[in-house]
Amino acid sequence: MNQISLVQMRPNQKGRVVEILGGYNLQKRLSSMGLLKGKEIKKISHIGLKGPVVVKVGKTILALGYGMAAKVLVETE
Amino acid sequence: MIKKIFLVGNPNVGKSVVFSRLTGVHVISSNYPGTTVEFTKGYLELEGEKKEILDLPGIYSLDPTSPAEKVALSLLEEHPKDEIVVINVVDSTNLERNLLLTLQLIERGYPTIVCLNMCDDAVHRGIHIDIDKLEQCLRTPVVSTCAVTGLGIKLLIKRIKDAIPLPRPKMSEEERWLEVGRIVREVQQLEHRHHSYRELLEDASVRPLSGSIVALLIIYLSFLIVRFIGESIITYITDPLFYNYYKPLLEKLASFLPERGFWFHLLIGNLISGNIDFRQSLGLLTTAPYIEFGMVLPYLFSFYLILNILEDVGYLPRLAILLDNFLHILGLHGYAIIPVLLGFGCNVPGIIATRILESKRERFIASTIISIGVPCVPLQAMIFGMLGRFGGFYVSGVYLVLFSIVLILGLILNKFLAGYSPEFLVEIPPYRFPSLGILIKKLYFRIKGFLIEALPVVMLGVLVVNILLFLKLFDFVTGIFAPIITGIYGLPKESIIALIIGVFRKDVAVGMLAPLELTAKQLFISTTLLAISFPCIATFVVLWKELGFKDLIKATTIMFAISIIIGSLLNFFIFG
Repeated sequence: MNQISLVQMRPNQKGRVVEILGGYNLQKRLSSMGLLKGKEIKKISHIGLKGPVVVKVGKTILALGYGMAAKVLVETE
Repeated sequence: MIKKIFLVGNPNVGKSVVFSRLTGVHVISSNYPGTTVEFTKGYLELEGEKKEILDLPGIYSLDPTSPAEKVALSLLEEHPKDEIVVINVVDSTNLERNLLLTLQLIERGYPTIVCLNMCDDAVHRGIHIDIDKLEQCLRTPVVSTCAVTGLGIKLLIKRIKDAIPLPRPKMSEEERWLEVGRIVREVQQLEHRHHSYRELLEDASVRPLSGSIVALLIIYLSFLIVRFIGESIITYITDPLFYNYYKPLLEKLASFLPERGFWFHLLIGNLISGNIDFRQSLGLLTTAPYIEFGMVLPYLFSFYLILNILEDVGYLPRLAILLDNFLHILGLHGYAIIPVLLGFGCNVPGIIATRILESKRERFIASTIISIGVPCVPLQAMIFGMLGRFGGFYVSGVYLVLFSIVLILGLILNKFLAGYSPEFLVEIPPYRFPSLGILIKKLYFRIKGFLIEALPVVMLGVLVVNILLFLKLFDFVTGIFAPIITGIYGLPKESIIALIIGVFRKDVAVGMLAPLELTAKQLFISTTLLAISFPCIATFVVLWKELGFKDLIKATTIMFAISIIIGSLLNFFIFG
């Protein structure tokens, strides 16, 4: 098991969310959109070096800014 | 006693379509989160009584995390809970995420009826939801609907009265998610499906390489189609109508009026080599209707047709992702592309749509950029119509100048404005096949809105100008501004009239330039100036409303400075 952030994941890689760093507000915002601890997540793409990250959680596709994506830690196999 | 009904739900679940179905009031709906940025009111007849219905902007949770959510919630909390009913619109294709809000609503004691929308789409995706079971789990009425076709709406109205609050035990966020998981497992069955073409296309359009190719292709094709449809309407419909049917009528009217008289001047305008010229005569019955119906309307139709399709398919948020990096340079994030695109139709809805951006700073940058560097359809139609005759080189030149201004202005604003711009976080909707009925309705309402707003101002503008011209009152004004107009911009001093009229409407202003027989260079400079200088009165008012007085003054000062700088640069250096 190996813990990395959404930024470090490769496109098409799957994982499970283990932690969301950053403030309470960010955690709440992401979780109300369906991205929370314990969820299966799949990275779809990453635009440019510092660009947004697109992920799929459940049936929801989310685009997160680079800084936000760096705060979401996942466990991959 | 129910006094008010609220439509509450996650963004982009179709609240506005449900609202239109319930009230008959048309609201613009699109396939991206954040189409509704302010609430809309309407009425529904319920058991012989009129009830007010409010369509709220989408929220993910009752614990607000963004300013937009706070606004929506404060409206909901204004009323005692026993006087309202909440219609909780839920996206059937994403039950799990949507139910979080549903549980919160019920928990807090709001009388809630669940409207399980987009049920047809769920079936397509192999999602089956047991409605009776869901109703038992939630202990509140559940109705499945397909608002786009109207399916289930009657039942929804019938069951509004059954929404009785049954408070649930308070839960922590974590417990609530577990409960949602439990309910979803119980009521939802998924057929196993392979990746569909739609999903492949959805993924391809957000990957860097394939996405950029798709984006370039879509933008290029949209541009070609808008031009093709616009030009075809002019060539085959509006021009024949104006020249073959309307002109003979006007000629008959003209023969009754003394040629140098006031009425002739007002209605018909000047004869150009003995003939009525729709582009140059400047009469209330000649040039004024021709500009709006013969030059602007065809392009407005084709522009909104294509924009509506892109909106309803769900492409725009994907374009936003791809442009995020670029827009960061300007202090914005990707989602700002949506207000900018709307601004290409008309600046007013574009500036209102900047509400989907979170911070005041982003909204200032986006609104300023839209009002300076984004030409609306009426202005563009005139630029194509007038400048296009000198060649595509000049037309692309105007766009190049505007784009450079946006780039430089954005860089400067981003560097010197205090504060920072928050990051991108947005839900990407699935691609949906647009409903023809909704497309046509939206097109009709957008064009109707334009005509209602534009026609009176155009008529009034031409009327006032014609009276002033007849009384020769402009000579005084042209005299005062001559040093700037001729000295700095290299334009004939009469073009000040057009620049002043630009304050009312940009399309009429370009029309005013027609009789001046400008050279290509002069026309280039004057149309560019019209695009960047003072916004039209409608934009000005909306800037004031959205930004406040202080920022309005800031934005206007920037505009004046830029038009002086760009005008003189173009005059002295570019064309030398």
